[in-house]
Amino acid sequence: MTALSSSIGRKFVMGLTGLFLCFFLVIHLAGNLLLYVGPEAYDHYAHTLHEQKGFLLFAEVFLFTAFIIHILLAVRLSRDNFAARKVSYAKTSSKKGGRLAASVIAPEVWMFWSGAIVLGFLICHLGDFKFEWWWGNEFASSGSEYHKASIILRDPRVLVVYCIGSVILGVHVSHGLASAFQSLGVNHPKYTPVIHWCSIAFGWIVAIGFASFPIAWALTESAATH
Amino acid sequence: MISPVKKNLSLNLRVWRQPSADIPGEFRNYQLSDISPDMSFLEMLDILNEQLVESGEEPVAFDHDCREGICGTCGVVINGQAHGPDNETTTCQLHMRRFADGDTIVIEPWRARAFPVLRDLVVDRSAFDRIVQSGGYVSVRTGQAPDGNAILVPSQDQEEAMDAAACIGCGACVAACKNASAMLFTSAKVSHFANLPQGHPERKKRVLAMISQHDEEGFGACTNTYECEAACPAAISVTHIARLNREYMKAMLTSKE
Amino acid sequence: MSTATERHTLDARIPDGPIDQKWTRCRDEMKLVAPNNKRKFDIIVVGTGLAGASAAASLAELGYNVKAFCYQDSARRAHSIAAQGGINAAKNYPNDGDSVHRLFYDTVKGGDFRAREANVYRLAEVANNIIDQCVAQGVPFAREYGGTLANRTFGGAQVSRTFYCRGQTGQQLLLGAYSALMRQVSAGKVQMFSRHEMLDLVVVDGKARGIVCRNMVNGEIETHAAHAVLLCTGGYGNVFYLSTNAKGCNVTAAWRCHKRGAYFANPAFTQIHPTCIPVKGDYQSKLTLMSESLRNDGRVWVPKDVNDKRPPSDIQEDARDYYLERRYPAFGNMVPRDVASRAAKERCDAGFGVGETQLAVYLDFKRAIEEQGRDVIEAKYGNLFHMYKKITDEDPYQVPMRIYPAVHYTMGGLWVDYHLESTVPGLFVLGEANFSDHGANRLGASALMQGLADGYFVAPYTVGHHLANGGLKEVTTAHPKFKETAVEARNRIERMLSVNGKRSVDDIHRQLGNIMWEHCGMSRSAQGLSTAIEQIRDLRAEFWQNVRVLGNGDSLNQALEHAGRLADFLEFGELFARDALQREESCGGHFREEHQTEDNEARRDDENFAFVGAWEHKGDDQQAVLHKEQLTFEEVKLTTRSYK
Ligand SMILES: Cc1cc2nc3c(=O)[nH]c(=O)nc-3n(C[C@H](O)[C@H](O)[C@H](O)COP(=O)(O)OP(=O)(O)OC[C@H]3O[C@@H](n4cnc5c(N)ncnc54)[C@H](O)[C@@H]3O)c2cc1C
Ligand code: FES
Repeated sequence: MTALSSSIGRKFVMGLTGLFLCFFLVIHLAGNLLLYVGPEAYDHYAHTLHEQKGFLLFAEVFLFTAFIIHILLAVRLSRDNFAARKVSYAKTSSKKGGRLAASVIAPEVWMFWSGAIVLGFLICHLGDFKFEWWWGNEFASSGSEYHKASIILRDPRVLVVYCIGSVILGVHVSHGLASAFQSLGVNHPKYTPVIHWCSIAFGWIVAIGFASFPIAWALTESAATH
Repeated sequence: MISPVKKNLSLNLRVWRQPSADIPGEFRNYQLSDISPDMSFLEMLDILNEQLVESGEEPVAFDHDCREGICGTCGVVINGQAHGPDNETTTCQLHMRRFADGDTIVIEPWRARAFPVLRDLVVDRSAFDRIVQSGGYVSVRTGQAPDGNAILVPSQDQEEAMDAAACIGCGACVAACKNASAMLFTSAKVSHFANLPQGHPERKKRVLAMISQHDEEGFGACTNTYECEAACPAAISVTHIARLNREYMKAMLTSKE
Repeated sequence: MSTATERHTLDARIPDGPIDQKWTRCRDEMKLVAPNNKRKFDIIVVGTGLAGASAAASLAELGYNVKAFCYQDSARRAHSIAAQGGINAAKNYPNDGDSVHRLFYDTVKGGDFRAREANVYRLAEVANNIIDQCVAQGVPFAREYGGTLANRTFGGAQVSRTFYCRGQTGQQLLLGAYSALMRQVSAGKVQMFSRHEMLDLVVVDGKARGIVCRNMVNGEIETHAAHAVLLCTGGYGNVFYLSTNAKGCNVTAAWRCHKRGAYFANPAFTQIHPTCIPVKGDYQSKLTLMSESLRNDGRVWVPKDVNDKRPPSDIQEDARDYYLERRYPAFGNMVPRDVASRAAKERCDAGFGVGETQLAVYLDFKRAIEEQGRDVIEAKYGNLFHMYKKITDEDPYQVPMRIYPAVHYTMGGLWVDYHLESTVPGLFVLGEANFSDHGANRLGASALMQGLADGYFVAPYTVGHHLANGGLKEVTTAHPKFKETAVEARNRIERMLSVNGKRSVDDIHRQLGNIMWEHCGMSRSAQGLSTAIEQIRDLRAEFWQNVRVLGNGDSLNQALEHAGRLADFLEFGELFARDALQREESCGGHFREEHQTEDNEARRDDENFAFVGAWEHKGDDQQAVLHKEQLTFEEVKLTTRSYK
């Protein structure tokens, strides 16, 4: 708890939870890639997972807590940081080298807002797959998780939302991952450039990886109808 | 080499004017002509002030002293950039050849809650002194020191300590940070001492106290955007912030207080 | 105006005994303040440079209540921060035969035998402690690979005794002292008053008992009382307007003390540094030093033909006049500062100067780059070359640097005795503000040493002795003297604001600078100095009739601050010229055209001028009176400096 009493402590916890969430993204993406292997593989994976009731509950609670802490700290940090400059500049311009790094769309400049969008995306995503809010009993007939995913991913609204969501998520983690290392105190002339590029690569992988599913399903859909 | 004759500049200035801390300020526009490209930025402001005095308007207040980039007194935001467009350069070392004829230059004070404006472009940076007071020293009294060579310092550690100690305390890091955070300043001091054996006895106490003071002063937190490093005239690197983070967590987890 | 002093003779209070025991003996005989009595004493320290910060911290550690003042927004910004080269100490770590005595001798000789032996010896003695103290504070001095301290060589010495932190030694030493000071602030033993400018000294019953200062943020005139006042306010080079000093450096504090009874010693002793970036135009506000070390590898030259206006690269070797190498074959480009400066002026006056203004000479690295390679030169001087390029937009790797001498340091200052006490009891003067250790010329890397010696290792003892001596009755700011002095300060401000003339402060200051540079600069003559005195008087009169200071006294008003400093420079400048006129000899930085040899070298007159000239103020409408402290040399033999 004392960790949360200072700006550095909060950043530290922010970094820790962020790293954990990145780790989760890796597992999640790896699992999802089984969708490309085929229905059996994916369903097998899903069933095995769902059978581990205790583990699943633990993991979900843990994940949920990490999310909540990450979000609450983000709100707190942003509020404090906003308050640290009461009068804003008439003009601002970056002094960093590199065109992207110096532009207003550089990931690090709008982490709070990209995070907020990711949160929105997360809610939609849980609404689709976990709570099935928008799908009535469309999936009731089959017990196949693959089938359920296919229905969802075919939907054009899902295509739009997931593509935007995945890209923003990629942007968010492309800064977040490297940033977490810095917050945890890892900075070294040898490793930091590697971490930096890995982080950007990770952002691309996450964005392309997660966006690929609705795109792939949309493509097969249109191929099927023609 | 006789340098080609350079054309003198005409400039439009938009300068923040604020009579005192508790009276709100505003931008005012001024025209300057015949500015030599060899002038320093502060000499250009001197000319502006001569012009203002002549016309009966009070001169623009701006902080400066050494005018050679070491005392850390000067510093304004020029067209949205702390200390202007050049890297590793203080405002006093910026020269007018960096600007083109007809340019509009927006000049603002450092803006941060912890740096209240005192007048025009002059801000109160005493928060930095208080951060140092909270722990930015080695507790050694005059006369207590052992022989200089009794404390061996590997030259690499010494170099790293010197990199950090080179901070001039100008506040550009705070001015440039979107969160008005003073982590680069604070980390430079912490890192300076963490790199030297002399700094070790008070290591934990120092970092905890300095961060607590940093937060208390109303500076924001670091979100690793690294604008500070780009604006720093002394080229202090953000690796010192990582070191600070490390020192802080180590101290927090192991401190017995 | 009151000028109450009790002592009128100049007793330097030099302890008896052999020179290497004087300081020990002096300390043994000093009275002490009992530990629990120390908190009953208040001490004011004006200035937080090396001298002030170290003194304030050390006195607070002892238990005194200290109030420290500086005009900058933070104590860390005192002008000591700008010192580049290094600090001397006779540690003899390189094993090259250095010793306290050698450091002492070099300093006395470097000062052209116009410094007080006993003080200089003490300086050399405590220098080693300074290095230890600074290391313990965490000052990152350069190290050898094995972890021991590194040294480099500096001008005027044949041993390697200069400790350094890259090109930022002054910065690091000051930050060390500043951190010690901040530690005492947090301990509650020092009260720090930044953005406060001292405007006057309060003398009660002949003793310094407080100061009047202006809060530079809200304009309030404040008074502070104490049992002793330490003046550590730096040098007055800005009387020349253009100098390597920071813009705010001033004579105000020292001058005001002078007017309250403190004698001003050797005001004309000024160091003009040969390697500075030349003046570009009328707008120039400050001159930048290029370290002395450049002359190790750079060669100084001008064209042989007065009319040769070709770019330097077109001028062949045989058309170049390497005048230092020609005139001083033994030392060549490495002659001391005063000699190099005068030689550059001589060439430029004769019409050989280069560049737009023709007030510059070349400092050429071509041969050094050819012989040693660009990398080596870059490693040695990279940061200086970078700075040069930033200011001039010329690349010194390609074209020779253009340099010219500039005012850099003032050896003169308030007269102090061995205890660093001025002629006003209770007023101690430390650092560049006093006159004591450098005679007529200062060696490189010894000002930092002196500031810290005074502050860490001398004043804490001698001030204690003064306090323990008793006779200090309780005085508070309610005393009428405080009111009176504050009213005088306020009136002066009101007067400046009410002139409402036509000329800006900068404009008048620039004119004063021109007069000083023309007549009191590198070369002085009786006629020029008399002219200067006239011109300064006229300018002073004009200032009070025609200066324009806008705004009011109740807020942050930088023009008003500057006007106050200029008003004092305008009074001080006259004394400066008078002192130069009085000294009918050439020594160190003081060169009188009337006193030179056939080949234009300085001619010192030990018979008649081996004294410290200390001036007593007699009132605004009367001439100051000169007092002489005869210098006796028992340890060193007076010799003529020759660099041929
Ligand atoms: C560019 C440059 C390079 C140098 N390099 C070297 C070097 O390599 N080695 C070396 O030994 N020396 C060097 N010197 C000389 C040396 O730096 C100075 O002589 C020395 O630092 C002076 O220290 P100080 O404490 O006496 O005064 P300063 O550091 O000048 O401090 C003066 C203090 O007094 C305060 N003050 C002044 N007036 C008032 C007032 N009226 N009211 C209140 N406060 C006031 C100021 O705020 C400041 O805190 C160099 C000097 C310059 C200019
Ligand atoms: S005025 Fe000293 S750093 Fe600019």
